[in-house]
Amino acid sequence: MKTKLTRREAGKLVGATLTGALAPGAARAQGKQIVIGGLYPLSGANAQIGVDAKHAYETALDVINNKNDLDLPLAKTEGLPNLGGAKLAMTFADHQSDPQKGRAEAERLITQDKVVALIGTYQSAVANTASVASERYSIPFLGADTSSPSLHRRGLKFFFRAAPHDEMFTQTMFDFFDEMKKKGKSIQSVALFYEDTIFGADSSAVQRKLAAAHGVKVVADIKYRSNSPSLTAEVQQLKAANAQVLMPSSYTTDAILLMKTMAELGYKPSAILAQDAGFSEQTLFNAIGAAGEGVMTRSTFSLDLGQKKPSVAKVNELFKARSGKDLNDLTARQFTAAMVMADAINRSKTGEPLAIREALATTDLPGEQTIMPWRRVKFDESGQNNDCTPVLLQRRGDKYVTVFPAEYAVADVAWG
Amino acid sequence: MLNAANLAQILMSGLLMGLIYALIAAGLSLIFGLMDVVNFAHGEFLMTAMYATFGLVVLLSLDPLILSPIVAAIMFVVGAFCYRAIIVHAMRARTNVGMVQVFATFGLAIVIRGLAQFVFTPDYRSIPKSWLGGQTFSLFGVYMPAPQLAGALASLLAFGALWLLMKKTDFGKALEATREDAGAVGLVGIDRNRVFAMGWGLGAALVGLAGAILSIFYYIHPDVGGPFALIAYVTVALGGFGSVFGALAAGVIVGLVEAISATVLQPSMKAIGIYAVYLIVVFLRPRGLFGHL
Repeated sequence: MKTKLTRREAGKLVGATLTGALAPGAARAQGKQIVIGGLYPLSGANAQIGVDAKHAYETALDVINNKNDLDLPLAKTEGLPNLGGAKLAMTFADHQSDPQKGRAEAERLITQDKVVALIGTYQSAVANTASVASERYSIPFLGADTSSPSLHRRGLKFFFRAAPHDEMFTQTMFDFFDEMKKKGKSIQSVALFYEDTIFGADSSAVQRKLAAAHGVKVVADIKYRSNSPSLTAEVQQLKAANAQVLMPSSYTTDAILLMKTMAELGYKPSAILAQDAGFSEQTLFNAIGAAGEGVMTRSTFSLDLGQKKPSVAKVNELFKARSGKDLNDLTARQFTAAMVMADAINRSKTGEPLAIREALATTDLPGEQTIMPWRRVKFDESGQNNDCTPVLLQRRGDKYVTVFPAEYAVADVAWG
Repeated sequence: MLNAANLAQILMSGLLMGLIYALIAAGLSLIFGLMDVVNFAHGEFLMTAMYATFGLVVLLSLDPLILSPIVAAIMFVVGAFCYRAIIVHAMRARTNVGMVQVFATFGLAIVIRGLAQFVFTPDYRSIPKSWLGGQTFSLFGVYMPAPQLAGALASLLAFGALWLLMKKTDFGKALEATREDAGAVGLVGIDRNRVFAMGWGLGAALVGLAGAILSIFYYIHPDVGGPFALIAYVTVALGGFGSVFGALAAGVIVGLVEAISATVLQPSMKAIGIYAVYLIVVFLRPRGLFGHL
């Protein structure tokens, strides 16, 4: 009995397998299901982020695949009407917050799971590598919740981002300072306080630049070691500099320690205006109690937008039923990314990656049809949406309220 | 911006944190001095103690300060158990016994941390209300946070008690004798395994005390031990391997150097200050400031 393949037979077999793998789209839309890939940290220190993200995407799939009475794209129909009612599905991969794993998982999703598009990734560093992989395979990549400005400046044809980047966030902070000046509360000095990784470095660089442009003096510029056992000496320097506004760029651990140490050393600036991150976490406010009152942060989302947009409250209900939590800045951006992607896939008519890319490039979704305080979703040539105004939130009691800009504000800013 | 008031505050903050660092390092130094084993799970012992405190606060609604002896007792059992279950076996290795011990305690660290992630989730916890939490005393404009003050006092008391134990009790003498010559003590009827287990228990109890007080003003997380353990290692090395009281002096030095270098250099460079001082000590006196090995 012949047990070994001849070289020619082996060649044929490999050829047949390759043909199968490369056969266009038919297989991808099989069973009336279009699959997109989600790249998130599902294990390790940031596992909670990935778990919450999955709930956000599943909420979006629920809205898209079932009939819902919401003013959102594809909500009122079942599935994707232009693709014969095909259902949208998501496959998730765990990048463990590691850029190299992120790239490998992106390739695996594309080549093995045959996803037609990718969404992710929380960390900008991971989006950086994963989107290069998707570019190579000509698969659209939508950055849902990554904010590093450099991401859309790499000349990639398949990279898109519907949400604001860090420069837009910081611009809003300084616009707010200008607005306060008009109200007779001039802000002349700020203290920058930022951790020593890429997040803190990028954030503070933009803050420094905009402070100079807006005539605001930076009286303390403190780069600190993240996860330090103590921030006492750092807070002493902040206290000595005595800036009107403290602008921290800190993850959760450092944010908790900063706020506790400030209280211990009796330091209270007129205002704290944070670059999101740790300051968007409920955990921080559980830890510091009353000291959190009046803290401000930038955000892309606030639950009180529900007062002006009924769909916000309804989507929050759907999300809460799955996760037991309210939507926050991150999960709202993830939900919105899935809606933008579904809208493009539907308009592509074929569900093919190249057609989806073209559809994304011509996206023009009015802000009213999102849960965000955005004018619209429309990508420029670099793939960035510039019509997504960030908002500033301020802590009142046990929640954040929107205080800026005026068109979305539900309360006046309290200034210490 | 270094005036007299600032300098006083920096020295006070450095001193208080330094005494807490010393308390954390005490157990590590004790175990090392006793049996030449560096416990790489020391930070995880600290983390375990913080979760134990958190759990007891939730369960019994008592103040962490009252609970601190209970946490220390729990950690004594944990430490002695770790010795009996793992370290005693690691010491049986016939070759490369040092490396086996390093990897045994390192493995222990990874397992404890992984279990904590799984059981307690990676959420940050903190004890919202306690007697000392958020309280501060001010003396001539120098702030002294009450939890740190309590930590510093507990550190001094613990070192005092340790001194009495070592010098005045039979157990202390057995500990000292075993440290001098673990082989010979068997001849006079001392069970060295028992002494080692007690040593591990005592070392873990000390870090347990530190963990209980730390949890008043610090967040609790599976990875919380890392940064403190790193400081504990350099504290033990600086004070001199095997010298428990060297750890006290070294802890204070580390606290002061950290506070000063964060001000004079810049905050992101404060670890450099600590290790630069250590390297200078290595250059001048490799066994550490009070080392007698």
